[in-house]
Amino acid sequence: MMSPGNRHTRSAVVTGIGVVAPNGVGAETFWKSTVEGISALDGVSREGCEHLPLRVAGEVRGFEAESMVEQRFLVQTDRFSHFAMAAADLALADAGIGEGALGGTPYSVGVVTAAGSGGGEFGQRELQRLWGQGPTYVGPYQSIAWFYAASTGQISIRGGFKGPCGVVASDEAGGLDAIAHAAGAVRRGTDTIIVGAAEAPLAPYSIVCQLGYRELSTCEDPDRAYRPFTPQACGFVPGEGGAMLVVEDAETARRRGTAIRATVAGHAATFTGASRWEQSREGLARAIGGALEAAGCSPEEIDVVFADALGLPEADRAEALAITDALGAHGSRVPVTAPKTGTGRAYCGAPLLDTAAAVLALEHGLVPPTPHVQDVCHDLALVTGTARPAELRTALVLSRGLMGSNSALVLRRGADPS
Amino acid sequence: MTDQLTVDELAALMKKGAGITVDPNEMEQRPETPFEVYGLDSLGLLGIVGELENRYGRPLPPDADRCKTPREFLDLVNTSLMAGA
Amino acid sequence: MTRRVAVTGVGIVAPGGVGAPAFWDLLSSGRTATRGITLFDPTGFRSRIAAEVDFDPAAHGLGAADAQRADRYVQFALVAAREAMADAGLDAATLDPWRTAVSMGTAVGGTTRLERDYVKVSSTGRRWDVDHSEAAPHLHRAFSPSTLASEVAEQNGVQGPVQTVSTGCTSGLDAIGYAFHAIEEGRADICVAGASDSPISPITVACFDAIKATSPNNDDPAHASRPFDANRDGFVMGEGGAVLILEELEHARARGARVYCEIGGYATFGNAHHMTGLTREGLEMARAIDDAMNHARLDRTDIDYVNAHGSGTQQNDRHETAAVKRSLGDHAYKVPMSSIKSMVGHSLGAIGAIELVACVLALAHQVVPPTANYETPDPECDLDYVPRTARPLKLRSVLSVGSGFGGFQSAVVLTRPGGSA
Repeated sequence: MMSPGNRHTRSAVVTGIGVVAPNGVGAETFWKSTVEGISALDGVSREGCEHLPLRVAGEVRGFEAESMVEQRFLVQTDRFSHFAMAAADLALADAGIGEGALGGTPYSVGVVTAAGSGGGEFGQRELQRLWGQGPTYVGPYQSIAWFYAASTGQISIRGGFKGPCGVVASDEAGGLDAIAHAAGAVRRGTDTIIVGAAEAPLAPYSIVCQLGYRELSTCEDPDRAYRPFTPQACGFVPGEGGAMLVVEDAETARRRGTAIRATVAGHAATFTGASRWEQSREGLARAIGGALEAAGCSPEEIDVVFADALGLPEADRAEALAITDALGAHGSRVPVTAPKTGTGRAYCGAPLLDTAAAVLALEHGLVPPTPHVQDVCHDLALVTGTARPAELRTALVLSRGLMGSNSALVLRRGADPS
Repeated sequence: MTDQLTVDELAALMKKGAGITVDPNEMEQRPETPFEVYGLDSLGLLGIVGELENRYGRPLPPDADRCKTPREFLDLVNTSLMAGA
Repeated sequence: MTRRVAVTGVGIVAPGGVGAPAFWDLLSSGRTATRGITLFDPTGFRSRIAAEVDFDPAAHGLGAADAQRADRYVQFALVAAREAMADAGLDAATLDPWRTAVSMGTAVGGTTRLERDYVKVSSTGRRWDVDHSEAAPHLHRAFSPSTLASEVAEQNGVQGPVQTVSTGCTSGLDAIGYAFHAIEEGRADICVAGASDSPISPITVACFDAIKATSPNNDDPAHASRPFDANRDGFVMGEGGAVLILEELEHARARGARVYCEIGGYATFGNAHHMTGLTREGLEMARAIDDAMNHARLDRTDIDYVNAHGSGTQQNDRHETAAVKRSLGDHAYKVPMSSIKSMVGHSLGAIGAIELVACVLALAHQVVPPTANYETPDPECDLDYVPRTARPLKLRSVLSVGSGFGGFQSAVVLTRPGGSA
């Protein structure tokens, strides 16, 4: 890969994790639930959603918005931004970056988010005002709360971060692409990027919009609704929430004396067409290959795989084959996990939760299990039941999106020795 | 609703429209304290103007959303309401 | 060795005409495409004017299935992408699919269709617990913003990195900036890059009404978009889509492609100030300009034309004038700076790509497009805004800037072949 200047001397590392997930708020609570395989899937309880054919979702119920986000933002922004702002705060605190504690100029810190559903609940309320009462009843904050860039903008303004700010408005895989954007910005010279995704797609009209996805599970039983890699796979369960990470230049982190949790070692993305799951086999295998190459990593070095785990038989088959296509015989031996069966897929937020879990797994030497999944019908060493201790140095996180993107990310524990 | 906008009503509008909590007594005692100090931004004031225009069924003066302080805003709105009554 | 990034094709759907020739004809003649809104009945709205595209999907080769499946903003992008591919002498059959990328920007995505179906499922805004049985089968495609890049990728058989970018009104510049990075850093050799938006719908018009950002000059729509003029009173909403083919320079040369110009540099920063408000100083935009020029190894005096964001709001035009003066110093007074939003309106996420196509064509024709409707100088906006009439000029390097809700400040520098890149 060509790279001008000193890019290769800069390495992007994870120093902070902030999680707002259905199974826990805060990295510690999230990790505890994840390791224990506790599932947060349950009936949909958000107001006005009870009658819809989506019966099961991963709702974020442990989030006390009032204690985590200022009152004015609760009124002026959507739930997806509340999640993102809270997760950003948690990530900054986790990285030891308190208010005013940043060494560099405001331009040395940027914000990148991925967003696949925007401020749907806020937007629906304003649509109701417009069509129910009239155009003059639409409030001033609609112009800044609904759009996909809302969370990046609010986090940047609230923290005074003037570095490169961006938004990948993509399908699920966009969550990993956002991390790659952050790593790219760090390599190009920005010290720190607050990066991640949090979604809130469980408003009534947002759910109606998702019903057209043939991949959506409409099963009524939370224990059976999302069981990828099994003969009973019947689609995916949506979720809300996500995670924000602090990604820094390794030298900056060392200078701050902060622990380097993991290195963003490689990423690659491909496209194989919306809902063309059979074709996603080649796309995902190539993404894995590209990410390994960028990381200078051999297939055998991968110690754990966080699978996309869509939960549709042909998609699961394609993913299992892609893993062995890319990793060879190692692909059927390496532990694979999909903790998202306990949280649902929060669109762009889903691969962020996987990335957070992957960093924590590397640190703890534990592969978390895949809730609800027992009889695996593919040639994969899927970790089910209980967490499995293992010496973990390198993790591979996979994500595919409903609009056709495939993305792979390689993470190494601690600072990359290379 | 009275035919004059009171400090209490303004405080309630700030809370409902922009999520800004203000003690009406404090605002009454120090009406020159800029909206900005309370955390009310330009969009918040635009929202309050829009809400009042819907409530009264007629436009407020074009300068209403540029007022910097509660006193300025209350004077302008109430003068306009008197004139239109 | 640094990989350089060339522009080898352009395609555009803009108010006043579909296709680069019609677009350039409008810009170089200084005509305006702003008018009363016809896409819906705007009675009861504060701003009832817009720059609309007269667009017949069938006339541009989109079949009934395309028109049914794809939203208006996606249709714009498909038509623009096809023109750009043909202009670059590329077709899906000869592309290396895994080395080709797509990067498309949009600010509000599928809002128009989302709103249309919302009205149905909510019994015209009467119920929160909406009735899903009234929803259209393709609604999820309007819900997911990645539909835009996904559709463009499928149209051209692209299998490399595909992404949609949504940074408000800098989405177009940023989508092209991300594409620039992807090629420069080796993730792709060709990128279909651009942006599209079709925001002229009740909810989007109403949300800008609510913050008085759009012009209420409903009696004179043709002269309502008045960037930099002392009597400007807000922006006029537009719509459209634009696509540029970015290509690694040696790749373009090897296949004998015509190179319009190179992307010399791109930068973006947040102003960390306010979601809609801008500072008087424009420090962050100035920094984006400086970084983009540095990356292009250009000096301030190398800039021959500034394509302004120039939305026509009081604060934007002041902010931007200050930023350009800060970056270009005295040279700011010598370099022409115009806003084509005076003619084609402000199409939110699309406009950055539309403006870059205008820059590419300006370089090709060696003509600076004017700022239509500019009559009365504003003491705080005291640069050369190219009033009303296009100006022939020797152009080698041009700068395009943008500001977006959320605080985004972006800049792109284009340079001609043989220029000082």
